[in-house]
Amino acid sequence: MARITAGVATSHIPALGVATDLGKTEEAYWKPAFAGYEWTKAWEAEQKPDVVILVYNDHASAFDMRVIPTFAIGCAEEFQPADEGWGPRKVPVVHGHPDLAWHIAQSLILDEFDMTIINEMDVDHGLTVPLSMMFGQPDQWPAKVIPIAVNVVTYPPPSGNRCWALGEAIARAVASFPEDLNVQVWGTGGMSHQLQGPRAGLINTEWDNRFLDRLEGNTDALRHIPHIEYLRETGSEGIEMVMWLVMRGALGRTTRALHRHYHVPASNTAVGHIVLEPITELGDTE
Amino acid sequence: MTPPRDIHQYLAEFDDIPGTRVFTAARARQGYHLNQFAMSLMKAENRERWKANERAYLDGWKLTEEQKQAVLDRDYNRLLDLGGNIYFMAKVFSTDGQSFLQAVSTMSGMSLEDYQAMMLAGGRSPTGLRSLKDKY
Repeated sequence: MARITAGVATSHIPALGVATDLGKTEEAYWKPAFAGYEWTKAWEAEQKPDVVILVYNDHASAFDMRVIPTFAIGCAEEFQPADEGWGPRKVPVVHGHPDLAWHIAQSLILDEFDMTIINEMDVDHGLTVPLSMMFGQPDQWPAKVIPIAVNVVTYPPPSGNRCWALGEAIARAVASFPEDLNVQVWGTGGMSHQLQGPRAGLINTEWDNRFLDRLEGNTDALRHIPHIEYLRETGSEGIEMVMWLVMRGALGRTTRALHRHYHVPASNTAVGHIVLEPITELGDTE
Repeated sequence: MTPPRDIHQYLAEFDDIPGTRVFTAARARQGYHLNQFAMSLMKAENRERWKANERAYLDGWKLTEEQKQAVLDRDYNRLLDLGGNIYFMAKVFSTDGQSFLQAVSTMSGMSLEDYQAMMLAGGRSPTGLRSLKDKY
Protein backbone atom coordinates (compact mmCIF):
# COMPACT_ATOMS: atom_id res chain seq x y z
CA MET A 1 0.00 0.00 0.00
CA ALA A 2 1.09 3.55 -0.63
CA ARG A 3 1.86 5.41 2.58
CA ILE A 4 2.57 9.02 3.58
CA THR A 5 5.83 8.93 5.51
CA ALA A 6 6.56 12.62 5.99
CA GLY A 7 5.50 16.16 5.32
CA VAL A 8 7.69 19.08 4.35
CA ALA A 9 6.79 22.76 4.23
CA THR A 10 8.91 25.44 2.66
CA SER A 11 8.84 28.89 1.15
CA HIS A 12 9.25 28.81 -2.64
CA ILE A 13 10.99 32.15 -3.17
CA PRO A 14 12.03 32.61 -6.83
CA ALA A 15 15.30 34.31 -5.79
CA LEU A 16 16.36 31.06 -4.08
CA GLY A 17 16.04 29.34 -7.46
CA VAL A 18 18.05 32.09 -9.14
CA ALA A 19 20.76 31.88 -6.45
CA THR A 20 20.90 28.09 -6.94
CA ASP A 21 21.07 28.32 -10.73
CA LEU A 22 23.75 31.01 -10.70
CA GLY A 23 25.88 29.26 -8.07
CA LYS A 24 25.44 32.00 -5.46
CA THR A 25 24.42 29.82 -2.52
CA GLU A 26 27.72 30.34 -0.72
CA GLU A 27 27.55 34.14 -0.91
CA ALA A 28 27.22 35.86 2.46
CA TYR A 29 23.69 37.11 1.76
CA TRP A 30 22.32 33.72 0.66
CA LYS A 31 24.32 31.33 2.83
CA PRO A 32 22.11 31.46 5.95
CA ALA A 33 19.01 30.82 3.85
CA PHE A 34 20.53 27.76 2.18
CA ALA A 35 22.32 26.44 5.28
CA GLY A 36 18.97 25.59 6.85
CA TYR A 37 18.24 23.16 4.03
CA GLU A 38 21.43 21.11 4.38
CA TRP A 39 19.90 18.83 7.00
CA THR A 40 16.85 18.27 4.84
CA LYS A 41 18.87 17.51 1.70
CA ALA A 42 20.80 14.80 3.55
CA TRP A 43 17.57 13.45 5.07
CA GLU A 44 15.81 13.36 1.68
CA ALA A 45 18.77 11.49 0.19
CA GLU A 46 18.19 8.79 2.84
CA GLN A 47 14.42 8.80 2.67
CA LYS A 48 14.27 8.36 -1.12
CA PRO A 49 10.55 9.11 -1.50
CA ASP A 50 8.99 7.50 -4.57
CA VAL A 51 6.44 10.26 -5.00
CA VAL A 52 6.11 13.82 -3.73
CA ILE A 53 2.64 15.34 -3.71
CA LEU A 54 3.69 18.97 -4.09
CA VAL A 55 1.19 21.65 -3.10
CA TYR A 56 2.04 25.02 -4.66
CA ASN A 57 0.55 27.94 -6.49
CA ASP A 58 1.12 28.96 -10.07
CA HIS A 59 2.33 32.56 -10.48
CA ALA A 60 0.65 33.55 -13.74
CA SER A 61 2.70 30.99 -15.68
CA ALA A 62 0.55 27.97 -16.59
CA PHE A 63 -2.70 29.72 -15.68
CA ASP A 64 -3.71 33.27 -16.47
CA MET A 65 -6.98 35.04 -15.67
CA ARG A 66 -8.92 32.99 -18.23
CA VAL A 67 -9.20 29.97 -15.93
CA ILE A 68 -8.83 30.08 -12.14
CA PRO A 69 -9.06 26.63 -10.54
CA THR A 70 -9.29 26.67 -6.75
CA PHE A 71 -7.73 23.20 -6.52
CA ALA A 72 -6.09 21.48 -9.49
CA ILE A 73 -4.17 18.21 -9.76
CA GLY A 74 -1.52 17.46 -12.39
CA CYS A 75 -2.06 14.01 -13.87
CA ALA A 76 0.45 14.22 -16.74
CA GLU A 77 3.46 12.00 -17.43
CA GLU A 78 5.73 15.03 -17.27
CA PHE A 79 5.75 18.76 -16.66
CA GLN A 80 8.26 21.12 -18.27
CA PRO A 81 9.82 23.98 -16.28
CA ALA A 82 7.87 27.11 -17.24
CA ASP A 83 9.33 30.10 -19.05
CA GLU A 84 8.52 32.87 -16.58
CA GLY A 85 9.74 35.57 -18.93
CA TRP A 86 13.50 35.03 -18.85
CA GLY A 87 13.63 31.48 -20.21
CA PRO A 88 12.83 28.24 -18.36
CA ARG A 89 14.98 27.33 -15.33
CA LYS A 90 17.67 24.88 -16.35
CA VAL A 91 16.39 22.17 -14.05
CA PRO A 92 15.30 18.62 -14.93
CA VAL A 93 11.89 17.88 -16.40
CA VAL A 94 9.43 16.99 -13.63
CA HIS A 95 8.06 13.46 -14.01
CA GLY A 96 4.56 12.84 -12.75
CA HIS A 97 2.91 9.69 -11.44
CA PRO A 98 -0.24 9.59 -13.57
CA ASP A 99 -1.65 6.39 -12.05
CA LEU A 100 -1.48 7.67 -8.49
CA ALA A 101 -2.54 11.18 -9.58
CA TRP A 102 -5.66 9.92 -11.36
CA HIS A 103 -6.40 7.66 -8.40
CA ILE A 104 -6.16 10.65 -6.04
CA ALA A 105 -8.28 12.79 -8.38
CA GLN A 106 -11.06 10.18 -8.45
CA SER A 107 -10.91 9.66 -4.73
CA LEU A 108 -11.00 13.40 -3.99
CA ILE A 109 -13.98 13.99 -6.26
CA LEU A 110 -15.90 11.17 -4.59
CA ASP A 111 -14.88 12.78 -1.30
CA GLU A 112 -16.68 15.93 -2.53
CA PHE A 113 -13.66 18.01 -3.54
CA ASP A 114 -14.25 19.55 -6.98
CA MET A 115 -10.79 19.06 -8.44
CA THR A 116 -9.67 20.46 -11.78
CA ILE A 117 -7.72 17.79 -13.65
CA ILE A 118 -4.73 19.08 -15.59
CA ASN A 119 -3.09 16.92 -18.24
CA GLU A 120 -0.81 19.50 -19.82
CA MET A 121 0.94 22.31 -18.02
CA ASP A 122 4.33 23.82 -17.33
CA VAL A 123 5.41 24.26 -13.71
CA ASP A 124 6.96 27.49 -12.45
CA HIS A 125 9.26 28.39 -9.55
CA GLY A 126 6.46 27.63 -7.10
CA LEU A 127 7.10 23.95 -7.80
CA THR A 128 10.71 23.81 -9.01
CA VAL A 129 12.32 25.92 -6.25
CA PRO A 130 11.20 23.50 -3.49
CA LEU A 131 12.62 20.60 -5.55
CA SER A 132 15.98 22.43 -5.76
CA MET A 133 15.94 23.21 -2.03
CA MET A 134 15.29 19.57 -1.05
CA PHE A 135 17.13 17.67 -3.78
CA GLY A 136 19.90 20.06 -4.84
CA GLN A 137 21.00 20.02 -8.47
CA PRO A 138 20.74 16.42 -9.73
CA ASP A 139 20.61 15.42 -13.42
CA GLN A 140 17.10 14.21 -12.82
CA TRP A 141 14.74 14.64 -9.89
CA PRO A 142 14.94 11.58 -7.62
CA ALA A 143 11.17 11.36 -7.09
CA LYS A 144 8.01 11.47 -9.16
CA VAL A 145 5.94 14.58 -8.47
CA ILE A 146 2.19 15.10 -8.37
CA PRO A 147 1.49 18.84 -8.55
CA ILE A 148 -1.51 20.13 -6.59
CA ALA A 149 -2.10 23.75 -7.53
CA VAL A 150 -4.08 26.00 -5.17
CA ASN A 151 -5.44 29.43 -6.06
CA VAL A 152 -4.05 31.89 -3.52
CA VAL A 153 -4.02 34.89 -5.87
CA THR A 154 -7.61 35.75 -6.78
CA TYR A 155 -9.92 36.18 -3.78
CA PRO A 156 -11.28 34.27 -2.16
CA PRO A 157 -8.66 31.55 -1.87
CA PRO A 158 -9.85 28.37 -0.14
CA SER A 159 -10.13 28.55 3.65
CA GLY A 160 -7.44 27.04 5.83
CA ASN A 161 -9.99 24.55 7.05
CA ARG A 162 -10.79 23.46 3.50
CA CYS A 163 -7.08 23.04 2.75
CA TRP A 164 -6.63 20.95 5.88
CA ALA A 165 -9.63 18.79 4.92
CA LEU A 166 -8.19 18.38 1.40
CA GLY A 167 -5.02 17.06 3.01
CA GLU A 168 -7.05 14.58 5.04
CA ALA A 169 -8.76 13.41 1.86
CA ILE A 170 -5.41 13.10 0.06
CA ALA A 171 -4.23 10.85 2.90
CA ARG A 172 -7.27 8.60 2.45
CA ALA A 173 -6.65 8.48 -1.30
CA VAL A 174 -2.98 7.56 -0.89
CA ALA A 175 -3.78 4.89 1.70
CA SER A 176 -6.15 3.20 -0.75
CA PHE A 177 -3.62 2.99 -3.61
CA PRO A 178 -2.49 -0.63 -3.88
CA GLU A 179 1.11 -0.11 -5.00
CA ASP A 180 3.77 0.04 -2.29
CA LEU A 181 5.00 3.63 -2.48
CA ASN A 182 6.84 5.94 -0.10
CA VAL A 183 4.93 9.21 -0.47
CA GLN A 184 5.71 12.63 0.96
CA VAL A 185 3.42 15.65 0.94
CA TRP A 186 5.01 19.08 0.60
CA GLY A 187 3.25 22.36 1.28
CA THR A 188 5.00 25.36 -0.22
CA GLY A 189 4.80 29.17 -0.32
CA GLY A 190 4.85 31.82 2.42
CA MET A 191 5.91 32.71 5.11
CA SER A 192 5.28 36.38 5.89
CA HIS A 193 5.75 38.67 2.91
CA GLN A 194 4.00 41.49 1.12
CA LEU A 195 5.00 42.24 -2.46
CA GLN A 196 2.65 45.14 -3.14
CA GLY A 197 1.50 48.55 -2.01
CA PRO A 198 2.98 51.00 0.50
CA ARG A 199 3.05 48.28 3.19
CA ALA A 200 5.43 46.16 1.05
CA GLY A 201 8.20 44.43 2.94
CA LEU A 202 6.15 43.41 5.96
CA ILE A 203 7.71 40.59 8.00
CA ASN A 204 6.16 39.14 11.16
CA THR A 205 8.73 36.81 12.70
CA GLU A 206 6.73 36.21 15.86
CA TRP A 207 3.58 35.18 14.02
CA ASP A 208 5.50 32.97 11.59
CA ASN A 209 7.19 31.13 14.43
CA ARG A 210 3.93 30.59 16.26
CA PHE A 211 2.56 29.12 13.03
CA LEU A 212 5.57 26.77 12.85
CA ASP A 213 5.01 25.81 16.52
CA ARG A 214 1.46 24.77 15.82
CA LEU A 215 2.31 22.52 12.88
CA GLU A 216 3.82 20.19 15.47
CA GLY A 217 1.83 18.04 17.86
CA ASN A 218 -1.89 17.39 17.82
CA THR A 219 -3.50 20.81 17.74
CA ASP A 220 -5.58 21.72 14.72
CA ALA A 221 -5.84 25.41 15.67
CA LEU A 222 -4.24 26.53 12.41
CA ARG A 223 -7.16 25.36 10.31
CA HIS A 224 -9.36 28.06 11.85
CA ILE A 225 -7.19 31.12 11.04
CA PRO A 226 -9.32 33.40 8.83
CA HIS A 227 -7.92 35.00 5.67
CA ILE A 228 -8.00 38.45 7.25
CA GLU A 229 -5.56 37.35 9.95
CA TYR A 230 -3.00 36.15 7.39
CA LEU A 231 -3.39 39.45 5.54
CA ARG A 232 -3.10 41.69 8.59
CA GLU A 233 -0.34 39.77 10.33
CA THR A 234 1.81 38.30 7.57
CA GLY A 235 1.32 40.59 4.57
CA SER A 236 -0.76 40.14 1.46
CA GLU A 237 1.24 37.15 0.20
CA GLY A 238 1.43 35.40 3.59
CA ILE A 239 -1.91 33.86 2.59
CA GLU A 240 0.19 31.24 0.79
CA MET A 241 0.58 29.50 4.14
CA VAL A 242 -2.88 27.94 3.67
CA MET A 243 -1.07 25.59 1.30
CA TRP A 244 1.03 24.30 4.19
CA LEU A 245 -2.22 23.18 5.79
CA VAL A 246 -2.91 20.73 2.95
CA MET A 247 0.36 19.05 3.93
CA ARG A 248 -0.44 19.20 7.64
CA GLY A 249 -3.93 17.77 7.13
CA ALA A 250 -2.43 14.86 5.19
CA LEU A 251 -0.23 13.84 8.13
CA GLY A 252 -3.08 12.89 10.45
CA ARG A 253 -3.77 13.87 14.01
CA THR A 254 -0.29 14.16 15.49
CA THR A 255 3.09 15.14 14.11
CA ARG A 256 6.66 15.38 15.31
CA ALA A 257 9.07 17.97 13.89
CA LEU A 258 12.37 16.53 12.68
CA HIS A 259 13.87 19.80 11.50
CA ARG A 260 12.93 23.46 11.50
CA HIS A 261 14.53 26.57 10.01
CA TYR A 262 13.60 30.24 9.75
CA HIS A 263 15.53 33.08 8.17
CA VAL A 264 14.91 36.72 7.21
CA PRO A 265 15.33 38.09 4.61
CA ALA A 266 15.59 36.33 1.29
CA SER A 267 14.69 39.00 -1.20
CA ASN A 268 11.40 40.47 0.17
CA THR A 269 10.41 37.53 2.30
CA ALA A 270 10.84 35.28 5.30
CA VAL A 271 12.15 31.79 4.55
CA GLY A 272 10.46 29.18 6.68
CA HIS A 273 10.88 25.46 6.42
CA ILE A 274 9.88 22.47 8.54
CA VAL A 275 10.05 18.69 8.22
CA LEU A 276 7.34 16.69 9.98
CA GLU A 277 6.60 13.03 10.45
CA PRO A 278 3.20 11.62 11.28
CA ILE A 279 2.81 9.84 14.62
CA THR A 280 0.38 6.98 14.79
CA GLU A 281 -1.24 6.97 18.21
CA LEU A 282 -3.00 4.20 20.05
CA GLY A 283 -6.61 4.21 18.93
CA ASP A 284 -5.95 5.63 15.49
CA THR A 285 -7.79 3.44 13.03
CA GLU A 286 -6.01 4.47 9.86
CA MET B 1 -16.99 22.92 7.19
CA THR B 2 -16.33 26.51 8.20
CA PRO B 3 -19.70 28.09 9.03
CA PRO B 4 -21.23 30.41 6.40
CA ARG B 5 -19.98 33.97 6.57
CA ASP B 6 -21.29 37.34 5.51
CA ILE B 7 -19.51 38.03 2.18
CA HIS B 8 -19.88 41.80 2.59
CA GLN B 9 -18.22 41.77 5.98
CA TYR B 10 -15.52 39.45 4.62
CA LEU B 11 -14.72 41.93 1.84
CA ALA B 12 -15.06 45.09 3.95
CA GLU B 13 -12.26 43.96 6.26
CA PHE B 14 -9.79 44.04 3.35
CA ASP B 15 -10.26 47.82 3.10
CA ASP B 16 -9.12 48.16 6.72
CA ILE B 17 -5.53 47.03 6.04
CA PRO B 18 -3.15 49.97 5.57
CA GLY B 19 -1.25 50.19 2.28
CA THR B 20 -2.64 46.96 0.88
CA ARG B 21 -4.74 46.19 -2.20
CA VAL B 22 -6.34 42.76 -1.96
CA PHE B 23 -7.05 41.16 -5.35
CA THR B 24 -10.78 40.76 -4.88
CA ALA B 25 -13.30 39.62 -7.48
CA ALA B 26 -14.15 43.30 -8.14
CA ARG B 27 -10.49 44.06 -8.89
CA ALA B 28 -10.13 40.87 -10.94
CA ARG B 29 -13.10 41.95 -13.07
CA GLN B 30 -11.86 45.54 -13.43
CA GLY B 31 -8.33 44.43 -14.31
CA TYR B 32 -9.04 41.46 -16.59
CA HIS B 33 -7.66 43.01 -19.79
CA LEU B 34 -4.87 44.80 -17.92
CA ASN B 35 -3.66 41.53 -16.43
CA GLN B 36 -4.02 39.66 -19.73
CA PHE B 37 -2.04 42.41 -21.47
CA ALA B 38 0.73 41.91 -18.90
CA MET B 39 0.56 38.14 -19.39
CA SER B 40 1.10 38.59 -23.12
CA LEU B 41 4.64 39.81 -22.31
CA MET B 42 5.55 36.22 -21.48
CA LYS B 43 6.16 35.75 -25.22
CA ALA B 44 9.43 37.06 -26.67
CA GLU B 45 7.84 38.35 -29.88
CA ASN B 46 5.31 40.36 -27.86
CA ARG B 47 8.06 41.82 -25.70
CA GLU B 48 9.81 43.04 -28.85
CA ARG B 49 6.62 44.68 -30.16
CA TRP B 50 6.02 46.21 -26.71
CA LYS B 51 9.53 47.62 -26.47
CA ALA B 52 9.35 49.03 -30.01
CA ASN B 53 6.23 51.09 -29.26
CA GLU B 54 4.56 50.78 -25.85
CA ARG B 55 1.63 53.05 -26.69
CA ALA B 56 0.79 51.23 -29.91
CA TYR B 57 1.01 47.88 -28.15
CA LEU B 58 -1.32 49.06 -25.37
CA ASP B 59 -3.80 50.33 -27.94
CA GLY B 60 -4.23 46.74 -29.09
CA TRP B 61 -5.76 45.87 -25.72
CA LYS B 62 -9.13 46.78 -24.21
CA LEU B 63 -7.67 48.90 -21.41
CA THR B 64 -9.09 52.16 -20.12
CA GLU B 65 -7.08 55.28 -20.83
CA GLU B 66 -6.31 55.48 -17.10
CA GLN B 67 -4.92 51.96 -17.10
CA LYS B 68 -2.81 52.66 -20.19
CA GLN B 69 -1.35 55.79 -18.63
CA ALA B 70 -0.56 54.00 -15.37
CA VAL B 71 1.28 51.29 -17.33
CA LEU B 72 3.26 53.89 -19.28
CA ASP B 73 4.07 55.63 -15.96
CA ARG B 74 4.95 52.28 -14.27
CA ASP B 75 2.80 53.48 -11.38
CA TYR B 76 2.28 50.13 -9.70
CA ASN B 77 0.14 51.32 -6.80
CA ARG B 78 -2.19 52.97 -9.32
CA LEU B 79 -2.20 49.79 -11.41
CA LEU B 80 -3.23 47.75 -8.37
CA ASP B 81 -6.06 50.24 -7.77
CA LEU B 82 -7.14 49.79 -11.39
CA GLY B 83 -7.36 46.00 -11.09
CA GLY B 84 -3.80 44.95 -11.72
CA ASN B 85 -2.40 41.99 -9.83
CA ILE B 86 1.21 42.00 -8.75
CA TYR B 87 2.03 38.59 -10.27
CA PHE B 88 0.79 39.86 -13.63
CA MET B 89 2.37 43.29 -13.25
CA ALA B 90 5.62 41.40 -12.65
CA LYS B 91 5.65 40.61 -16.39
CA VAL B 92 5.89 44.37 -17.06
CA PHE B 93 8.73 45.09 -14.63
CA SER B 94 10.57 41.89 -15.59
CA THR B 95 10.46 43.06 -19.22
CA ASP B 96 11.98 46.33 -17.95
CA GLY B 97 14.78 44.26 -16.40
CA GLN B 98 13.68 45.05 -12.84
CA SER B 99 13.72 42.56 -9.98
CA PHE B 100 10.83 42.09 -7.55
CA LEU B 101 12.90 43.93 -4.94
CA GLN B 102 13.35 46.94 -7.22
CA ALA B 103 9.72 47.09 -8.34
CA VAL B 104 8.32 46.48 -4.86
CA SER B 105 10.43 49.26 -3.38
CA THR B 106 8.84 51.77 -5.79
CA MET B 107 5.41 51.02 -4.29
CA SER B 108 6.59 51.56 -0.74
CA GLY B 109 7.69 55.13 -1.46
CA MET B 110 11.23 54.29 -0.32
CA SER B 111 14.46 54.38 -2.26
CA LEU B 112 15.78 50.99 -3.28
CA GLU B 113 18.68 51.41 -0.83
CA ASP B 114 16.40 52.26 2.10
CA TYR B 115 14.05 49.41 1.24
CA GLN B 116 16.94 46.94 1.04
CA ALA B 117 18.32 48.19 4.35
CA MET B 118 14.89 47.75 5.96
CA MET B 119 14.68 44.15 4.70
CA LEU B 120 18.19 43.35 5.91
CA ALA B 121 17.22 44.68 9.32
CA GLY B 122 14.33 42.22 9.51
CA GLY B 123 11.66 43.82 7.34
CA ARG B 124 8.77 46.16 7.99
CA SER B 125 7.21 45.63 11.41
CA PRO B 126 3.47 44.95 11.42
CA THR B 127 3.07 47.14 14.50
CA GLY B 128 0.54 49.87 13.74
CA LEU B 129 0.00 48.51 10.22
CA ARG B 130 -2.59 45.83 10.83
CA SER B 131 -5.75 47.92 10.89
CA LEU B 132 -6.66 51.46 9.86
CA LYS B 133 -9.52 51.81 12.32
CA ASP B 134 -8.07 49.98 15.31
CA LYS B 135 -4.45 51.14 14.80
CA TYR B 136 -2.56 48.17 16.22
